[in-house]
Amino acid sequence: MTKGSDFSGRDVISMRDFSREELDFIFDSTRDVELRGPQKSLDGKLIAILFFEPSTRTHSTFEIAASALRCRTTGFSSPEKSSTAKGETLHDTIAMYDAYKVDCIVMRHSMMGAARYASEISKSPVVSGGDGSREHPTQAMVDMYTIRKLFGKIDGLRIGILGDLKYGRTASSLSYGLANYDVEVTFVAPEALNLRREIEHYLRQRNVRVRKSENIRDVIGDLDVLYVTRIQKERIPDPTEYERVKGLYQVDLALLKEGKEGLKVMHPLPRVDELSTDVDGTPYQQYFVQAAAGVPLRTALLGLVLG
Amino acid sequence: MEEPQENLMVRKIEDGTVVDHLPAWSSELALKVLRLDAVAKSKPEVSVATLQNVASKRLGKKDLIKVDSWRVGERDADILCLIFPTATINLVSRWKVSKYEPRVPDSIEGRVRCPELLCISNAEREPLQSKFKTLKGERLLQCVYCDTQLEFDRIPEHVKG
Repeated sequence: MTKGSDFSGRDVISMRDFSREELDFIFDSTRDVELRGPQKSLDGKLIAILFFEPSTRTHSTFEIAASALRCRTTGFSSPEKSSTAKGETLHDTIAMYDAYKVDCIVMRHSMMGAARYASEISKSPVVSGGDGSREHPTQAMVDMYTIRKLFGKIDGLRIGILGDLKYGRTASSLSYGLANYDVEVTFVAPEALNLRREIEHYLRQRNVRVRKSENIRDVIGDLDVLYVTRIQKERIPDPTEYERVKGLYQVDLALLKEGKEGLKVMHPLPRVDELSTDVDGTPYQQYFVQAAAGVPLRTALLGLVLG
Repeated sequence: MEEPQENLMVRKIEDGTVVDHLPAWSSELALKVLRLDAVAKSKPEVSVATLQNVASKRLGKKDLIKVDSWRVGERDADILCLIFPTATINLVSRWKVSKYEPRVPDSIEGRVRCPELLCISNAEREPLQSKFKTLKGERLLQCVYCDTQLEFDRIPEHVKG
């Protein structure tokens, strides 16, 4: 049986590193934080929040979570504010914060696998806030917690993931996390932005029921949740590839009316033009609820990792 | 072991390694995979002969490497045969030749570059080696850092120079 102490000192790098039981424990802890606030104070703990890539929600929610746990924080919110701008390697930056005896490193980086590498260098646990186009595990936890809160369960749901499945790290991590549950996942993407091979391989190994489509209209009627992602312009290496795919899909109220009753729309944000603002004031909209869950989830998670 | 073309014969060796049936023109890469330059530098008695693009019954054309006074380690032999599946490795001890039976290694470190350019293992100046685990059933390598997969057949394109 999973215990809180199982998470103490643990890295949070990939959703594949967490079992269903462990995820449920994190979600239960998040619900406790939401209902009663943090159950413990980690007074005196020091967290380095190192963001080598810009962020709004993830950075802010980790700061708020640290503050709720009475932790001190240090670090930077963009590479221009660090010695990375002078050419310092990631190795040296991590080794330096390790030498400062921080209790935990929360980091985001543009290169894939950076968090795994940092965890090899750091003696204290590393919590990834996203690495390149590969993974964003705490966002996936936020997403799954929100789904569980909305439906009271995750099992039995039909979840559509729409958009940039090739470069979008939230879609990758969510797919890995959902593989622990009895769900049907429908991936909807233009061919050029299709799911990466290693994710398909993982889902196949876990016997997840997977459907694929290039047109959201063909599948919208079957879904309980539609998870929309933006095209990751900054990660597409070839600008002409971006020009080919931009604007290929948009979720608006007219489309959602083709969906079944109770359909919920989620989005990790920020959005560009793939999700119309006409959805905002409707019962479909859950993306701001989802964003708000970032605070209790990251509070619970940091509490477990530092506990 | 096939004999290479007569006019390119290299004398038999008493102790060492013969890497045979390498694809034609791949011996330079094979030398890198085996890190034979480092071996030869640290052991003056080691000498290396390579034959390139010689006739082969099995392959049409092939490369061959003879290493005098050094026997390749099992791990290096396994990695070389993963990269070049046609290769055969013969270990020679006091003129006696024994054929090495390679196994697919569980992991490879350092010798192969991750195909994903934005993988941290390709970052300039970072002091880390690439690391792959092998997915034997699927004949794939998977990067430990970024998860990118690489078919066994495509490994030679990504061997570090």
